[in-house]
Amino acid sequence: MISVRRKVNRESSRAPHGARPSLSGFALALPPLLLVVVFVGIPILIGLTFSLGFTQGPNRVISLIGQQIHIKSHWWGTFAAYSDVLHDSRFLGDLALTLVVTSISTVFVIAMALGIAMYQRLIGGKKASVLVTLSIVPLFVPVVISAWAIHTFYGGDGFMRTLFSHLGINFPTLTSTPVAIVIGSVWTALPFSILMISSGMQAIPNALIEAARDCGAPTPKIISNILIPLARTPIIIAASFTAIGILGSYTIPLFLGPNQPTMLGVEISNFFGAYNRPQQSLVMAFFVFLAASGIAILYVWQNIKSARESGRI
Amino acid sequence: MLKKRIMQSLALAAIAALGVGVSAPASHAVSQTIQVYISADTNIQDLWNKTLIPAFKAAYPDYDVNVTFDLHGTHDAQETAKITAASVLHKNPGVDLIDGGFVTTLGAAGLLYHPNPGLLPNIANVNKAVLKAGLGGIPYRASSVLLAYNSKNVATPPATLDDLLTWIKAHPGKFTYNAPNGGGSGYSFVQTVVDKYLSDADRTALVAGAAPSLESKWAQGLETLRQLNKFTYGQNGTYPANNAETLTDLATGLVDMGTVWSDQFASALKAGTMPANIKVTQISNPSLTGGASYLGIPNSSTNKVGARLLANWVLSPAAQNLIVSGTLNGFPVIPLSMLDPKATVAFTGVDIQHLRAGYISANANDLKSAWASAVPGK
Amino acid sequence: MRHSLRLPRLLLNLAIAFMALFILGPLIWLAAHAFVSDWHYPNFYPSGFTFHWWSRVFLDSALSTAMRNSLIISPIVVLCSMVICLPAAYAVGRINFWGRRAFMIGIFSANSFPKIGLFAAIATLYYSLNLMGTFVGVVIIQLLGTIIYMTWIPAAAFAAVPRNLEEAARDAGANKFTVFRTITLRMAMPGILVAIVMSFLAAFDEAQGTYLVGAPSIFTMPTEMYSLVQNYPIQVAAVFSLLLTLPSVLLLSLARKHIMGGQLAEGFQLK
Repeated sequence: MISVRRKVNRESSRAPHGARPSLSGFALALPPLLLVVVFVGIPILIGLTFSLGFTQGPNRVISLIGQQIHIKSHWWGTFAAYSDVLHDSRFLGDLALTLVVTSISTVFVIAMALGIAMYQRLIGGKKASVLVTLSIVPLFVPVVISAWAIHTFYGGDGFMRTLFSHLGINFPTLTSTPVAIVIGSVWTALPFSILMISSGMQAIPNALIEAARDCGAPTPKIISNILIPLARTPIIIAASFTAIGILGSYTIPLFLGPNQPTMLGVEISNFFGAYNRPQQSLVMAFFVFLAASGIAILYVWQNIKSARESGRI
Repeated sequence: MLKKRIMQSLALAAIAALGVGVSAPASHAVSQTIQVYISADTNIQDLWNKTLIPAFKAAYPDYDVNVTFDLHGTHDAQETAKITAASVLHKNPGVDLIDGGFVTTLGAAGLLYHPNPGLLPNIANVNKAVLKAGLGGIPYRASSVLLAYNSKNVATPPATLDDLLTWIKAHPGKFTYNAPNGGGSGYSFVQTVVDKYLSDADRTALVAGAAPSLESKWAQGLETLRQLNKFTYGQNGTYPANNAETLTDLATGLVDMGTVWSDQFASALKAGTMPANIKVTQISNPSLTGGASYLGIPNSSTNKVGARLLANWVLSPAAQNLIVSGTLNGFPVIPLSMLDPKATVAFTGVDIQHLRAGYISANANDLKSAWASAVPGK
Repeated sequence: MRHSLRLPRLLLNLAIAFMALFILGPLIWLAAHAFVSDWHYPNFYPSGFTFHWWSRVFLDSALSTAMRNSLIISPIVVLCSMVICLPAAYAVGRINFWGRRAFMIGIFSANSFPKIGLFAAIATLYYSLNLMGTFVGVVIIQLLGTIIYMTWIPAAAFAAVPRNLEEAARDAGANKFTVFRTITLRMAMPGILVAIVMSFLAAFDEAQGTYLVGAPSIFTMPTEMYSLVQNYPIQVAAVFSLLLTLPSVLLLSLARKHIMGGQLAEGFQLK
């Protein structure tokens, strides 16, 4: 029964039917594609031209109110705004902080998710369920509340300091530091990763693990040779989504982080609003967009690679 | 089974929601509705909703006023983009009268409607310099930033800026001001410190018009502020994000001194969220800035008549009396002689007609950016 | 399940205690404030209890209007998203058409562009299309955020339906529509449910674009949330936070079985 099902699964998970590209498929995919192209794609394109110094036409509006706007000096535009941003010490500091916080948070999230998922897969039981359920709780909470809750918990007169003051210890005020951004980012990103990775591990057949155990394989070997390779795709997916989410985040660093350096999402908002420099703000936005696209391409490439390896393509 | 349960729940939710009433507020077909947009703190919201608008409706019963309130400029970016797009494309911006910090930005871009002085008679009473600084906006109230201090821990507050700077260094962690890009009270402190090193001529120039050539002269003041990083609250170069946070830090006793808006402070006292032992004072040499708040009518507004009627009424002695008394304790923009003597007694000794002005918006934005580059975390 | 490994009980209990503190601590601390009148550092206990803040929230009419708006608009957005995206998801999962992968990457990337830089362009676009301030406009802007969930997850759900089952049914004489309804759709339903839940959350929590397009006539919950959290005493924010979390918890507890059952991981396999 099991082997029949596995065969069925393998067949159905082969590449979609039809070696020849289909027009009907394209037609079905058109509605959301059109929506995205019109309502997101076009504004992004317009934003790109504005960042290059095209200030007429659809960019008349934004050029009217902004300051420090560079108008194009060649037919293709100008890189003056890009030069502004790259030479601004704030941008480099923010970029560094964003990359560091994103990497550290993603590592923590994946590590915690892996630990809990593996524990549930290999041992299971009630305590494992408790851990998994706890980790999913933040999914229920809108990000504004999460940020506020974490701020009041770790702040100057928050729970941590209250608790430790009764023990005679002066617990540091963590708010307005990068540490608080990491805490907030991990807190909000954990649920999705747990779901992905634990589901991925649940899908690994028992027979494989039992067989390995029967051969006398120690647990670390089971983890490294079976669990992680077979759950590789969900793990990469979890890491990609977590990284992209934290890279462009705004609410968490705004409530929990220092004024400067801050994460790119906050800086983009500062430049657009408080400093009234929409052109430079858009340049930074494109950096975030590029980073996100890079991650997306990496993920698809990884997917194609794993699909090829498992013979699905 | 699960699907059925979900369907049932969704159906119940839908019925409940519809039963409670359809949500989108009925758009008034009456053209006599004036859409007012306020981007400020809650005390101004109360001023309009509880004081000014009821009085206006009593005076002009044919008009209805609908207020949209955005808390301290969270959505200024959206609103500015929208109004500008509406002006350029000649569409309805959805707002007739704006009370917010971005009015001067719209004015500078030429997007405000300037009613003929004949249509706005009360504007003749307004101080000319204040009017000019609005770039087309209509000033309607003023306030000043003041130094708030905890009278229990601070027996005599500092009298001059130098005294204040000395006090801050002598009491590490007991003073704070918010980041200038988040609130005007912190911005005022920054500009005041920067102005300390500027000549009167330079200060006037920065208030009057965009002066990028003078911005290099801010360096000394910014350096002074940077050196304060070790002494302000947290002692690590981090600052509260906005006006409200500074008020909270003062109220909860985390700091003993901070810069606050006069009207926000008065409202907080009256509402009981600020303990009575916190008092305010003004420093000198230079003093903390103050200035007017401006109303603006977008040139694509669909109810310019109603908007200017409301604006004109707000400038009348009756309305200005309301601004001065009540919970706001705002400063009027018309001469004190035109107001109710009882109300003005609170201003004895305070020169509210000649508040030290803030920079024009272009320079102010640049100062906010310069501060962020030079001070926090350094 | 046999296990040859026993983690030390102490370590495990420590891990659970840590997770409970880390995850639940901030929420419980905030929620506790919903019922107190006064609570000053460094006291462990508040000075008084009250329901005053709850009445403050419920008596605020702007708030209840916003709540109602959110609860009406978000389900409508999800329904529209299903109609628009599910056929596309089916196509991506089952039909090999040109640009399939580019389509998926494009949707993913477009979703991650920081919105604030696009306000002016979006405002211009919406005015030109006469969508500004309209219900449809708000629905569209919230819909955009749901597309990623409503295409990717159902796509894999559809792809995972075994072909031989469908073929067998057709051989047995069922017509195309019956096959689709009783086999394909039914087997993909858990994945679609997950997409519905994630999309609902995305629409419900969307704040920036909704403000741009909806103000001043249409306000949804997150906008009011931001205001409250930043300015009123912490107690009001705590009340509101408890209220906001309830629809999310309800929905997710209903779909929990399917989310945990491996559907979500399946959802993102692009083949």
